[in-house]
Amino acid sequence: MSNASLSAPGRGNALYWAIQAKRNIGVRSLFLVVLAFMVAYGFLFHGLFTGTGFAKFTQSWFPLALVAMAQAILMLTGGISLAIGALVSLGAVIAATTMTGPLGVAGGAAVVGIVGLGIGAATGLIVVKLRLPAIVVTLAGSFIIAGAALLVLPRPGGAMPDWLSNLLAGNTPAAFAVLVVIVLLWKLYLATPLGLSLYAAGENPVGAYRSGVPVDAARIAAYAISGLLCTGAGLFVAAQTGSGDPIIGTSFTLNSIAAAVLGGIGFLGGQGTMRGALAGSLLLSLMISVMFFLGFTPVAQYVAQGLIIIGAVAIPQFRMRAR
Amino acid sequence: MASPAPILAARGVSKGFFGNPVLRDVSIALMPGRVHALLGENGAGKSTLINLLSGALRPDSGTIEIDGQAVSRHSPPEARRAGIAVVQQELSLTGSLSIAENVGLGDYPRRFGLVDYAALAARAKAACDLVGLHEPLATPVGELSLGRRQMVEIAKALYRKPRVLILDEPTSSLSATETRILTTLLEKLRAEGIAILYISHRLDEVMQLCQHVTVLKDGTCTADRPLEGVNAAGLVRLMVGRDPGDLFPRWDSTRTDRTAIAVAKLSAGAMQDVDLEIKAGEVVGIGGLVGQGQEDLLLGLYGAIPAKVVSATIGGQAGLPGNVPQANARGLAYVPADRKREGLHLIHPILTNLMLPAFARMPALKLRNRAAERETAMGLALQFSIKGDLGRAAQALSGGNQQKVALAKWMPHDPTVLLLNDPTRGVDVETKREIYQMLRGFAAAGKAVVLLSSDTPELVHLCDRVAVVREGRIVTMLDRGGLSEEAIVAAAMGAERERQAA
Repeated sequence: MSNASLSAPGRGNALYWAIQAKRNIGVRSLFLVVLAFMVAYGFLFHGLFTGTGFAKFTQSWFPLALVAMAQAILMLTGGISLAIGALVSLGAVIAATTMTGPLGVAGGAAVVGIVGLGIGAATGLIVVKLRLPAIVVTLAGSFIIAGAALLVLPRPGGAMPDWLSNLLAGNTPAAFAVLVVIVLLWKLYLATPLGLSLYAAGENPVGAYRSGVPVDAARIAAYAISGLLCTGAGLFVAAQTGSGDPIIGTSFTLNSIAAAVLGGIGFLGGQGTMRGALAGSLLLSLMISVMFFLGFTPVAQYVAQGLIIIGAVAIPQFRMRAR
Repeated sequence: MASPAPILAARGVSKGFFGNPVLRDVSIALMPGRVHALLGENGAGKSTLINLLSGALRPDSGTIEIDGQAVSRHSPPEARRAGIAVVQQELSLTGSLSIAENVGLGDYPRRFGLVDYAALAARAKAACDLVGLHEPLATPVGELSLGRRQMVEIAKALYRKPRVLILDEPTSSLSATETRILTTLLEKLRAEGIAILYISHRLDEVMQLCQHVTVLKDGTCTADRPLEGVNAAGLVRLMVGRDPGDLFPRWDSTRTDRTAIAVAKLSAGAMQDVDLEIKAGEVVGIGGLVGQGQEDLLLGLYGAIPAKVVSATIGGQAGLPGNVPQANARGLAYVPADRKREGLHLIHPILTNLMLPAFARMPALKLRNRAAERETAMGLALQFSIKGDLGRAAQALSGGNQQKVALAKWMPHDPTVLLLNDPTRGVDVETKREIYQMLRGFAAAGKAVVLLSSDTPELVHLCDRVAVVREGRIVTMLDRGGLSEEAIVAAAMGAERERQAA
C-alpha cells in the first residue's frame, strides 16, 4: 500500500528495501482483510471501479486517513491525542472563514497549516517538557481548541471557493493524489534520523536517550506533524461540505483511535507501522460503506463496528497465547 | 605495563542515595590495552561506579578524569564524545527497528539530511561481523533471542569506535559459542589499545580474560591490583567477609520432623527441576546472584505464577496451590521484595495495609467491624513495634517500619509457611536486627521460613540450610556445618570446582 516508489537516499538501497519488506510482515493479514472488504464493496457497489465512484470513495476515506496518521504518529511516541476532532473542526472553520476573504486560498491554507503546526508543537512541548500525561493534556486541549473553533465561527457558515470544492471533492481523484503525496512525504520523514528516532523514542526512551537520540525533539516534532495533519483534514472537510462547522470534527477523535488500533498500532509506543494505520482507516471506511449497502441500521453499524475493533485487538492476543 | 596515562579514571569518588553511602572514596584507572575486571557482590556499588564513569550520575565528591584531565560536567553525550561506550545490562534496543537501525541509533550517517542506508549498511555490517552477528541486517531486533540482542548491543558499542569499552555482565545471556567470540574479540580490541572495563560474575572468565582487577565491597575498594598471582578463591575472599557483630540472634536448631513443603521436579518461570523439602521449624535460605530465578521459585510455591511439578505436598495438601487465595488457605504467606509496589499500598493508612489479608478472607459483602479491626491492628503494631499513628498513610513510615507492616499483615492468620523475598533490603540496621529475631522466633514457634536473600551474611547466620541458585537450578544445598560466606559466593559464581581442586 504505502510501499512508496520514492527512492531512498542514494545507491545501495538494498538494506532500505529489505527493512521495508520486513515491516510488511506484521500487517499482511490486515491487508488481506482490507482486500476482502474491497472486493465485497465492489460487488455491492459496481460504481467503485468507475472514475467517479473511485473519486467519491477516496474522498470519504481521505479525512479519516489523515486523522489516523495523526493519531498513529502520537501513539508511536507512546502518546495519544483526544484533541484530534477539535483540531479538525478548527481547521475547517479557519478555512471556511479565510479562503473567500482577503487572504485567499493560499493565505487561508497557510493559516490552517501554521495553526495546526503551532498547536501541535505547543501540546508536544507541554507533554514532553513538563512530563504530563498526553491523555490529560490533549483532553484539556480539546476543550480549549473546540472553544476556539466556536469563537471563529459560532454556528455553521462561512464559505469555500467553489473551484476548490470541485477540485478536492468533485469527480476527480485529486484527494487520492494528495494522499499519495502525504504518504511519500511521510516516507521521506521516516528516512531522516529524526523521523526514524520516533520508534526508538517511543519504545525505549531511556535506551534511546543513552544512545544519543534527541528523544524530546523527536516527540515534539511528532506532535507538530500530527497537528498539521488534523487541521489539513479540517480544510478538506470544509471543502467537501462547502462551508465551516465548528463541531464537524467531533467524531474523528475516537475514529482515529479505532483506525490506528485496527491498523495494529500499540498503545505502549514504538509498535506498529503507518501503512498499518492507513490500512486500518481504509478498513474502517470500507466497513461503514459495506454495512450501509447491506442495509444495516445506524445502531447496528455502531455495534458491528465496536465488535470488529475488539476482535481485531483480541485475535493477535489469542494467537500469541496459543503459541 | 604500557603507557602511564589512563584514558578514563575515577579519583576518590563517593556517591550516596538518600543519605545511604553507596560508594566511598573509590578510585579506578582504565589503561589503554588492558582488560580491567570489576568484581563485587550484589549491591557492592559496581553499577553506581559504571554510571559515574559513563556520566549517567555525578559523584558527590571526587573527580572523573579523561586522558588525565578532570572533567567537571560529565554527562552521557560528553562521555560519548570522549569515546566511552557502555554495554548496559538493561538493553537499550528498539524491538521494531532493524539490526542496522539499532546499531547505528543516535549516530546515523547522513546524506542530504536523510539516513544514508548504504553507508549505514557498510558500517553496521563491519560492527556486526566483529561480534559474529550474521543475521540479515534488516531483521527486526524484536525477533532475536536475548543472547543475540546482547550481541547487537555490543555491536552498537563497537559501531562508535570507542576508546573505552565498559561491559556490564555481557555474558550473562550469551551461549558458550557467543562467549568465545566475545572473548576473542576483546583480546583483539585490547591489542588495538582500547581500554576495557569488564564486569562479570563468572570468575573463570575473569581469570582468563583480564589483567587487572578492582574489587568492591560495601562501596569501598578492597583490592586494585594485577590479576597475576591471584586465584579464584583469593578473589572470593576479597569480595566477602564483613564483621557480623551482634546483629544476628543466637542460632539454635528448632527443626522438627513435620514436612512443611516437599516438591519434586518443580519448574516455575526461570527455575527448573527443583527438588526441595522443608521441615516445620527451620529457616531455609535461598542464595545466589540476583536474578537467577530465585523469585520464581517462591512465586511458584505460592501459586502466583504458573508452575509444573511431578509431586508436591504443601501445607499438608498434595499438589501446588493453584492461586494465591488457595496458598493463603493452606497457611502460606509471601512478603515481596519490592514493598513499595507489591508489598504495601503506600497511600492508604497503615491500618488498612495491616488488615488487607483479612479483608481478602471475609465474605465479599460482609460489613466491616471497625472496632475489631482497630484492636487487631493495634496488637500487631505492638507485637512488631511499628511506630506511629495507624491512621497515617503507609508511605510516611521509614523503610524498616514499612517492611514490618508488610510482614505483620499476615500474622492474624497464623501462617505455617513464610516465604520472604529479601526482607531486609533497604532496611536500617536496627530493624534488621528486629527482623532477624522475629525470623528465628517464627522458626521456634514451628513455622517454616523460606528466606530469599541477596545478603550473604544473613543467610550464613540465620539459616539451617541454604540452597544456592544459579541459572535457574539449585546448584548446591549447604548444610549448617558447611555454611560460610565463601562457600555461598563460590557456589553462586561457579567457582566451587576450583576450590575443591585447591
